[in-house]
Amino acid sequence: MRSRSIPSLPRRRAARHAYATRFPLRRRSLVPYVFIAPNITLFAAFSFLPLVYAIYISFHDWTLIGEPEFIGIHNYLRLVHDPLFWRALTNTLLYAVGTVPTSMAIGLLLALGLNRRMPARAFLRSLYFLPLVVSAVATGTIAAWMFNDNYGVLNAIIVRLGGPRVPWLSSPFWALPSLILTTLWVRVGFCMVVYLAALQSIPQMYYEAARIDGAAALTQFRHVTLPLLKPATFLLLVLSIIYSFHVFDLIYVMTGGGPGFSTTMLVQYIFRAAFVTGEMGYASAVGIALYAMILLFTILQWRASRQAENVM
Amino acid sequence: MTVSRARLADWVCCLALIAGAVIMVFPIYWMFATSVRPHAEIFEAVARLLPSSLSWNNFSAVLTRYPVLAWLDNSVIIAVVAVALTVFINLLCGYTFAKFRFPGRNILFFAILGALMVPIQVILVPEFLIVSWLGLLNTHLGVILPRAAEAFGIFMVRQFMVSIPDELMEAARLDGAGEFAIFFRIVLPLSKPIIAVLVIFTFMWRWNDFAWPLVALTNQDMFTVPLGLNLLRGEVNPDWGNVMALALLSLLPMLAIFLAFQRYLVQGIASTGLR
Amino acid sequence: MRHRYHMGRRGILGAGLALGTTHAWLAHAQSPVALTLSVWGAQAEQDAFNALVSRYQSLHPNVTIRLEVNGNSMQLYQLVDTRLAGRQAPDMFRIQYQQVGRYAGARAVVDLTPHLEQGYGSQFGPAFWQAVTYQGRQYALPHHTDTFALYYNVDFLRNIGVEMPTSLDHSLSWDEFIRVARQLKQKGDAPYAFAMAWQNSAAYRWLPFLYQHGGQLLDAELKQPQLASAKGVETIAWTQSWFKEGLVPPSTSVKSGEQTQNLFANGTIAMLLGGDWQIPFLQQNMAKYKWDVTYMPRDVAMASDLGGNCLAVSRDSKHPEIAADFLKFVVNEDNMRAFVTSAQFLPVRTALMRQQLDYALRPDAMKVYVEQAATIPDHLVRTVTMPNFSKINAATADELDLAFTSDQAPATTAQNLDAKIRAVLGG
Repeated sequence: MRSRSIPSLPRRRAARHAYATRFPLRRRSLVPYVFIAPNITLFAAFSFLPLVYAIYISFHDWTLIGEPEFIGIHNYLRLVHDPLFWRALTNTLLYAVGTVPTSMAIGLLLALGLNRRMPARAFLRSLYFLPLVVSAVATGTIAAWMFNDNYGVLNAIIVRLGGPRVPWLSSPFWALPSLILTTLWVRVGFCMVVYLAALQSIPQMYYEAARIDGAAALTQFRHVTLPLLKPATFLLLVLSIIYSFHVFDLIYVMTGGGPGFSTTMLVQYIFRAAFVTGEMGYASAVGIALYAMILLFTILQWRASRQAENVM
Repeated sequence: MTVSRARLADWVCCLALIAGAVIMVFPIYWMFATSVRPHAEIFEAVARLLPSSLSWNNFSAVLTRYPVLAWLDNSVIIAVVAVALTVFINLLCGYTFAKFRFPGRNILFFAILGALMVPIQVILVPEFLIVSWLGLLNTHLGVILPRAAEAFGIFMVRQFMVSIPDELMEAARLDGAGEFAIFFRIVLPLSKPIIAVLVIFTFMWRWNDFAWPLVALTNQDMFTVPLGLNLLRGEVNPDWGNVMALALLSLLPMLAIFLAFQRYLVQGIASTGLR
Repeated sequence: MRHRYHMGRRGILGAGLALGTTHAWLAHAQSPVALTLSVWGAQAEQDAFNALVSRYQSLHPNVTIRLEVNGNSMQLYQLVDTRLAGRQAPDMFRIQYQQVGRYAGARAVVDLTPHLEQGYGSQFGPAFWQAVTYQGRQYALPHHTDTFALYYNVDFLRNIGVEMPTSLDHSLSWDEFIRVARQLKQKGDAPYAFAMAWQNSAAYRWLPFLYQHGGQLLDAELKQPQLASAKGVETIAWTQSWFKEGLVPPSTSVKSGEQTQNLFANGTIAMLLGGDWQIPFLQQNMAKYKWDVTYMPRDVAMASDLGGNCLAVSRDSKHPEIAADFLKFVVNEDNMRAFVTSAQFLPVRTALMRQQLDYALRPDAMKVYVEQAATIPDHLVRTVTMPNFSKINAATADELDLAFTSDQAPATTAQNLDAKIRAVLGG
């Protein structure tokens, strides 16, 4: 208890931790349950129940407009041997690899740049964040319009500069890069904001200490900034990966999964099975598989980050 | 190591940032340019960066041909009610997970985080069945309730609340304050930054939601703006001037919210345990 | 005003009694009834539907019908299927002939046979009546049809000195068509020679080329695929060559979302293999050039696409008899004439098919479509109206798209597609 009178921040935290473990707020009352009840009810009714139902459906053959027919684990067996499922999984991973590290790296660079004192800093920050307020449908619409082979502005500029027309959305080679570019446009602002927030919460005294030790700017960055950005990086990594596994609206609007299957992601594939080819049971099986993968991924990441922290 | 070299680096960095900002703004400018272009210019293969003349026909056309005002109205109602509801119950829930210990706490917390990861497409049809069974199809509530328990929000609030000193609550409890009073009088006033973050993000998500409203709202008068945009875009002969005009209209309210709250955004995120 | 409505209602009651309709119908006729009709379509179609709805409502003041407009057919099917699963489907909806089997097979739409008088079907063209018939019962009413012909840019064709055929007998052969296309491309008025309007997975529109070449997708009994034959592989190779030679824009493959009518209107392509419903769009948006229509190219045979839609009553409708009555109203002779002439479609009633109709726009161009419609092969109609055809269509779109965009060899494409079709037909 005495430690409370000492103002230093880390000491105070440690004291609070000790206090909390010695006197846990173990209240017999129902208060915590009342407080979480609205969320838990909604979560149970609109997330958990549908998920259970989706699992149930995944053991059936169901056209959505007819009656479901029980077929056991057939849908899951089919999934293992379905080349399109693996193609969609590969595409999803490619998309994640193309968007997650790049958007985070660009976001970090922007945050470093815009954390310095410079004219119109707040205005520039807002501009970078601007794409986030545009809905995915609107983003896809404008992007498809700009990337259009024949009357899109990108090709018009390229042709005017003397280059060849690029078949952005109509060649299996370029379609995914076009989607990745569009995604970067949306995502870098978000990464920038999170990194900016993290940079601003690094106490100046760390830098002062480093400067007194004679550390150069780059060394400061490596040994002070980067380690302290870890929580932000972890948060962004988890959110970005979940986001890229969930991506749908943008692709639905821009390419519909084509040309060929070059931009068919897992969620596209689920949508297609459910609503185009009338295989709701199979769609659910793919969905459950996707969900299991995301869950596994997040748990692994979480454990890895915890281990890393323990080592430090 | 001279001052001028550092200066030069500053300038290069500054120019790069400005160039990047131009790239960020260009698509939105292009939306605008397409929507005010004379109709004949829209499909020209040689895209002019500046429209030859400004024509506001697309805006008036889109407003008269479609119930755009009803769509905006629906979007605003859904977003505002959803934000109020989500922010409130997320604060309560995040606070509880941060500051109370009770049997089942960890399991419930991870179950909620697990829900964050369910792709909506996977549960679209079961969700539809539940909402239709509740008689909430084609209602604002039918769109709001299923997404109201936002796992990301709970997670952020919890991270934030952990750093509020327990002593504050304990002191109030000793003074005989009830738990709701503590939440409203002590916790909420301390939570302004995280509330700003939640407001911006929840508004953004609800305003831009697509997959779920597409199924839950089948009556065109109940559509939200993204659904209306999808309708225009998917038409047999979409009028791109109209589409871009609506796209531009659709982002204005979001822009207003963003400008109003952006001051708190960085500060708010900074306060959620990123340190 | 009020008085007239009462008269109208009594008139309906009389008609109902005269037809000997059931008691339930009478009960409904008196109490207010609200129905929903879900459709998609261009502005002209929406206007035509709205006109029909208000005419029916003024005849039956107790009935209100809400028109729901979807952007396109894909959006409608997704919505209707989901709502069918939740027993919340709209009372009536528009479907393509290719989808009747799917909805009828799942009993998602109502058997309309009890609502139809003896001999009702004989008033419709046999192909269309057959298209709405499933296991001997009718699950939809034919509303209109459309087909494909060849739009061309008059200015560009004049510049290469080519006269387009003016009678069906002289329609271009495949070789002539490709020769014209190459000339157009070389002359360079337009970056590309032509495009085919089969985007958004309308892969069934590829089938006419197969029939023109003397092939077919399935055998005579519709039991086995037969694409992996010389005819099938050659047709795939021919259509693939359009892309390989750069005669068509690469963005116009089967699964793309490209709007080919825009490409034609702004002079990016000189010819468009497209449907009659594009006429209002071209009249309005193709100001820079003159356009005209000629017949589909042909090889050993002539063939064009079975397009068009019918109307069905969903199993969730609480007033199926009134919904059926409305559909019969929509497809009666006068209303069908009004609909097709204002929205630029082709009729499906034999009486109207024989007449020269007074089209609102470009009657000369519509004449080409009317003649072309006679070349739709019967076997093609039977193929595309099978209950499983939507799955076959999805598979066809996938495989053709791979051939057109990803260089998949014609023989491989044919074999893959045959295997997928076999799986659909077997299961």
